[in-house]
Amino acid sequence: MGRRRRLAGAVAEAGAGALPKVITALSQSLPAGPSPEIFRRAKFDRPEAAPALWQLLFRLLSPQSADGTSASPALEAQACWVKAALRSQGYPRLVLAQLPEDGSRGSRELLLALSWLLARGPLPERLLAQAHVQLGDEMPVCECEALASPGPRAPHVEAEGPVDIRCVQWLMGRLRFRWRCLITSQQEQCALLSKIHLYTRGCHSDQRLGHLSVAETEMLRDPEGGQQVRAGARVLAPGWACTPGPGPRSFWNDVRPGRGGADGGRSCAQLCSAFQLLRRLERENVGLEAALEWRRGELVFWRWMDTVLGACPPEAPAAATQPTVLPRIAGRGLGQLELAARELRALQEELCEASERRRAAWAVGGQGRGPQWRSARQALQKAVEQELAALRRAWEQDRGPARPHGPHRLVRREDEAPGGQYLRAAEVIQALRNQEACLEAALHRLQGQCRQELARLAGALPGLIWILPPGR
Amino acid sequence: MLPSGCSRRLVAELQGALDDCAERQLQLEQSLRVSRRLLRAWEPAGILAPEPPLGPETKEEDPSPACTPSPQDLKELELLTQALEKAVRVRKVISKAGERDKAPSLKSGSFATSPGMTASAPTRAPGQAGSCTSEAKPTRGIHQTTVPAKGHPERRLLSAGNRARVGVEARATRPGPGLRDQHVGPSAAPQALEAFTLKEKGRLLQLPAAFRKAASQNSRLWAQLRSAQPRDSTDAAAAAKTQFLQKMQTASGRPGPVLSAVEVEAEVGRLQEACSLLSLRMKEELSAAPTDWTQEYRCLLTLEGLQAVTGQCLHRLQELHAALAEQPVGPCPMERPSRTPPPCGGAADPFWSPQLLLYSSTQELQTLAALRLRVAMLDQQVHLEKVLMAELLPLVSSQEPASLALCRAVHSLLCEGGERFLTILHDDPADS
Repeated sequence: MGRRRRLAGAVAEAGAGALPKVITALSQSLPAGPSPEIFRRAKFDRPEAAPALWQLLFRLLSPQSADGTSASPALEAQACWVKAALRSQGYPRLVLAQLPEDGSRGSRELLLALSWLLARGPLPERLLAQAHVQLGDEMPVCECEALASPGPRAPHVEAEGPVDIRCVQWLMGRLRFRWRCLITSQQEQCALLSKIHLYTRGCHSDQRLGHLSVAETEMLRDPEGGQQVRAGARVLAPGWACTPGPGPRSFWNDVRPGRGGADGGRSCAQLCSAFQLLRRLERENVGLEAALEWRRGELVFWRWMDTVLGACPPEAPAAATQPTVLPRIAGRGLGQLELAARELRALQEELCEASERRRAAWAVGGQGRGPQWRSARQALQKAVEQELAALRRAWEQDRGPARPHGPHRLVRREDEAPGGQYLRAAEVIQALRNQEACLEAALHRLQGQCRQELARLAGALPGLIWILPPGR
Repeated sequence: MLPSGCSRRLVAELQGALDDCAERQLQLEQSLRVSRRLLRAWEPAGILAPEPPLGPETKEEDPSPACTPSPQDLKELELLTQALEKAVRVRKVISKAGERDKAPSLKSGSFATSPGMTASAPTRAPGQAGSCTSEAKPTRGIHQTTVPAKGHPERRLLSAGNRARVGVEARATRPGPGLRDQHVGPSAAPQALEAFTLKEKGRLLQLPAAFRKAASQNSRLWAQLRSAQPRDSTDAAAAAKTQFLQKMQTASGRPGPVLSAVEVEAEVGRLQEACSLLSLRMKEELSAAPTDWTQEYRCLLTLEGLQAVTGQCLHRLQELHAALAEQPVGPCPMERPSRTPPPCGGAADPFWSPQLLLYSSTQELQTLAALRLRVAMLDQQVHLEKVLMAELLPLVSSQEPASLALCRAVHSLLCEGGERFLTILHDDPADS
């Protein structure tokens, strides 16, 4: 209570001067955020603010361009993408979809869309995290990233015509082989990583870390910075890694006078390529500070946005009902949905059969139960209801206390670590083992289902003996 | 031949899975290259190290992503797989004795990597002309020798020359570790001026002061941002945001929030999980034998309850279907980004911030990494199994004169993970 009053007071006393400050912080915390002036013009729906806002929204919504490495497409294409992406996230205002894509007007609508994104989650933080400079050796402790994309993607590999079942077998074989290769390479990588950590023990200034990471060691090794540190590109698509900013050579030339006192060739070189990384780190730090500032002053922005929204004429009901053909991002929605429906239907059939059988058996043996039956029956009904409700909660809610997830910086430590927030490999291994067991059970269940089904079909073919392959 | 719709869907699905793997492999190769180079002797400052060749396996794999095998290949494949599987079995038995101290899961893999790892041990003289290529060769040898063992048609036909070379290299690298041990003492001293190896002098490394400062500021800021998250985005600001979203919704002239495609996808995922939980529960219930009438009644109630819940899930799915279908489809402006970083386990931890993961030994790290891959692989397998079931089972049951070859192939794919085949004997009653 007291806190709220204090804050409200702070906001009031900051007054009109606070808004530009907050907006500046916001635009500094966003990748290539436009100047605060754009925001002001957008409030009055000035056309000249529109292109900048389309571009900003494009960068916010398209993860590929979050790190600013891929070439941006033409404004029309960007606008088209923004419309589609906002729609797939459930953006409510249809006016946006009707805006011209050449960026000739609609800056206020775009400001509203931006605010909608900001209101729904910690956007600056997420973007900063996405493009963060990766200093350590990071390992995700869950497989949610991989789990999120099992479906078919852009249909760029269309099979020309019908293929033989043997082609499917062949592809499955290739897939198994690829996984084996991956496991082998992964094992080697772990061994190398562990060596590097061991050999550089005690080199890090941060006591919690102790040793250097590959990126840090590489920064010291590579005098020219020719091999970029894999920073900011945690999710590397092939051909994505690219170091923004001037080349190392020219940069070194700029820097040299100020850093003259370096001793010996190696330390000069260290400074050079370290400086490149340093620049990116410092840029990130500026963004982080701005994000903190934005967090602190956010309230002013939202009050201002209320006035912007108030200045908008309400959407004509005609616009809401008028069918607008909107570009839509092709997801794997329908395919996944049909798969789920098929599974559920199969399950329902099975349940229906089983419960009918049980009901019949119950009806046969059901006579002559004593007077205590009535109360027992009610108790049983209640118990089963509760049990089913618990089962339902298991999938409806998010899974209990937050499981560790996302990339963590790997630290090698044989001894007990000093206090602090960290995760132990053993804990993650345990969690992964549980997950593994669940998935294995699921796979076996499905395979058993197939076995039954095929055995039923095989039963219809007389004169054949099926010899199953020896078990594992 | 499979029907064309089925073919297209299956090939697309499998190709997608293969591409995922290839992408992972590519990333891994890249980090492997950097790490291997770090563990070699460092070039003296100022001399540009020649770029080591790209990992051979990615180069060889990638040109042939979508090409289909020739019919001959396919015919041979089946025979070959069987023969090779037998060979692998025999080999497993033989190598069982010595495998205890090696990495888990992959005999041939772990066997093959060890020379590669020791070869990159940091005792080579700097600037040695052939250092890069000789580093890369063991890997090439490994991958080519392992290929035939796995029975893969696309690389089955190695040229005779290649094979000979592999043999030579394998022999050449093997004495490596032994020699190295002898050389450690003498070779280190004279090269002390130039050679820098992590193993010997790694602990002398120091990060530049400016970098140290920026890095510590960076981690401090992340920590601040993280702790600021729940508290400082005060009740007032949170309320203002919710209010803003509501106002926007009402101003849009629509009654309630429309389900977005993203939300539909998330909910379908939840329903899939529901399905597997429900069917697990059913299996439990059916496998237990009730001993008295209370248990019997309870079992009946449970089954009926499960049926009702399943019905509700199906109903919800139909609603979602309608929500998805009512969205008019227009031209898609661009490809969907292949990997959007998804939130894991809900909104509990919406964004990254640097946290530590402590491990105590190489082996522990390897176990962790292998398990991660294993989980990813299993998940893919479960998904593919569902897809294959949906496509292939109806096909088998609808075949009029049942094709034994198809039955056999489908059985192998669906029940044995494509790894084993059943045998079908024709039992002619006339003979007996």
